[in-house]
Amino acid sequence: MKKILIVEDEEALCLLYKEELSQEGYDVMTVYDAEQALEVLNRERFDLIITDIRMPGRDGVELITQILGLRKGIPIIINTAYQSYKEDFMTWAADAYVVKSSSLQELKSKIKDLLNQ
Amino acid sequence: MIDRYQFLVPDFQSKEPKELALLSIISQSFFQPFSIEDNLLVILTALTSGSGVGFNRAMLFRTSGDKLKGEVWLGPRSAEEAKTIWEVLSTPGIGYVEIIEHNRGLLTRETDSLSQIIKPLVYSLSQENLIIPAMSAARKEMILVRNSRQEPFVDPKFLEIIGVDEFLCVPLFALDEIMGVVILDNAYTRQTIEPKDIKLASLCGLMAGNYMYTTMLHNKMIEMERLAALGEMAIFITHQLRNPLTTIGGFTDQLLNSPNDASKKRRNLEIIRKEIGRLENVLYELVHFLKVEMKKPVPFDLRPEIQAVLQSSDIKIKSEGIEVVVDIEERLPKILGDPTYFGEAIRNLLDNALEATPQGGRVTVQSRWEDQNWVIVRIQDTGKGMPPAVKEKLFSPFFSTKDKGLGLGLLFVKRVMESCGGKIEVDSEAGQGTLFRLYFKSAEEGRSDA
Repeated sequence: MKKILIVEDEEALCLLYKEELSQEGYDVMTVYDAEQALEVLNRERFDLIITDIRMPGRDGVELITQILGLRKGIPIIINTAYQSYKEDFMTWAADAYVVKSSSLQELKSKIKDLLNQ
Repeated sequence: MIDRYQFLVPDFQSKEPKELALLSIISQSFFQPFSIEDNLLVILTALTSGSGVGFNRAMLFRTSGDKLKGEVWLGPRSAEEAKTIWEVLSTPGIGYVEIIEHNRGLLTRETDSLSQIIKPLVYSLSQENLIIPAMSAARKEMILVRNSRQEPFVDPKFLEIIGVDEFLCVPLFALDEIMGVVILDNAYTRQTIEPKDIKLASLCGLMAGNYMYTTMLHNKMIEMERLAALGEMAIFITHQLRNPLTTIGGFTDQLLNSPNDASKKRRNLEIIRKEIGRLENVLYELVHFLKVEMKKPVPFDLRPEIQAVLQSSDIKIKSEGIEVVVDIEERLPKILGDPTYFGEAIRNLLDNALEATPQGGRVTVQSRWEDQNWVIVRIQDTGKGMPPAVKEKLFSPFFSTKDKGLGLGLLFVKRVMESCGGKIEVDSEAGQGTLFRLYFKSAEEGRSDA
């Protein structure tokens, strides 16, 4: 079972993603901020990371930079409400940039692509 | 030893050289917080007053895009009027301020003011065959026209209006930017324009051009800051709308895809309801924030406004389990402000106070007439207080410690206070609760028993 780490500070969204992605057959872990994410990443191995880029505490951008050092080939999807950051991030860090939307279709299909399913 | 000097405007009647007086009058006006129109009037006044350069009339054209447009024409309308006005203005005791006031009066006389005559005059600055007066502005050259009627470069329509043989065009510019042109003449005294007049006029022109340029840059900067703030605002609003929409969409889809899952039904609907509340909150804050405008403050009694807020259902719900103490002085005068904004400001602060206060805590709304001119409203809670880092950013736009709303609430309160000539202060320490003090101007004179 593929393991996905979700970094998201919105509680309701964490719940939604966890339920929806578990139903798709993934093993999902959610954390609320970047600190927790780094801690978990040091301990466990994941097949994919989904992260927001503006969160309390350490900024998501900083997290991505740190994860890059740790991830060793783990694909990253940026999932955020800010469309305007797209140009900044696609090029250098993340493998996909999905703007939050009322439908989870795009997110789900990006996950499939990146996990080669 | 050091001597300190204020920037002083020499009097028009002073014995100092008139060139010096002229320079100080003009430069002084740039320090005043007046509008550009007022300050240009000062410059035109300096050019036309007897103790200034002393021209009879001054005409101002300003650039707008690549066009030069007639704007102000200052001076008497006839030889008779000139005689009367100059007699009055040379009376001892009439100073700089009075002359400016007199000229302002002339310009606001809409129906018969000279300015109306030149307002239809518009010239292109970019065309090849430039004509006077546009030529002076476009080439940034002073042009003295003599025997105007024989001069092919002068616009015939302009000549018909100005109706004099001799006039001087002074361009107003700074760096590459053309700001306008001033046309000066001696229609009534018929004095020849001398080289010393031209020198003084050019000095005024240089100063006016630089002043107009600085003002233009300043306005541009303000506009850019405003646009930047708007852009930032748009980004934040997007964020605040997308998160709830994603949640609502996702949980709705769950319900649609598995309609028979009873356990999720209630939970999802509750989440959706909560997120809709968030969206409403964003709209509420935004609408309130955007609509604060400078209204003329009116006197009103704050007591019923505070009561109305306390009676409202959302505040009542939030006050459950919290002691709300209302302590308003009996003989409180009316205050100056807008009653609706006042209510909204109080609601905002109360809302914050109640949210910060744990069950069993206390929120106090107190009002006192303490100072001669100020009525102070205090809103105090026994909540968690704020660390210095939060307090510092309290009135910044989009700063919020809550997960709902836009972080515009306190900025709104601040703007409301500024719009009625009051102010807001805050005392807070982590763990010690928070106290907001709102200072409103009293609508009555200072209390007699104080």
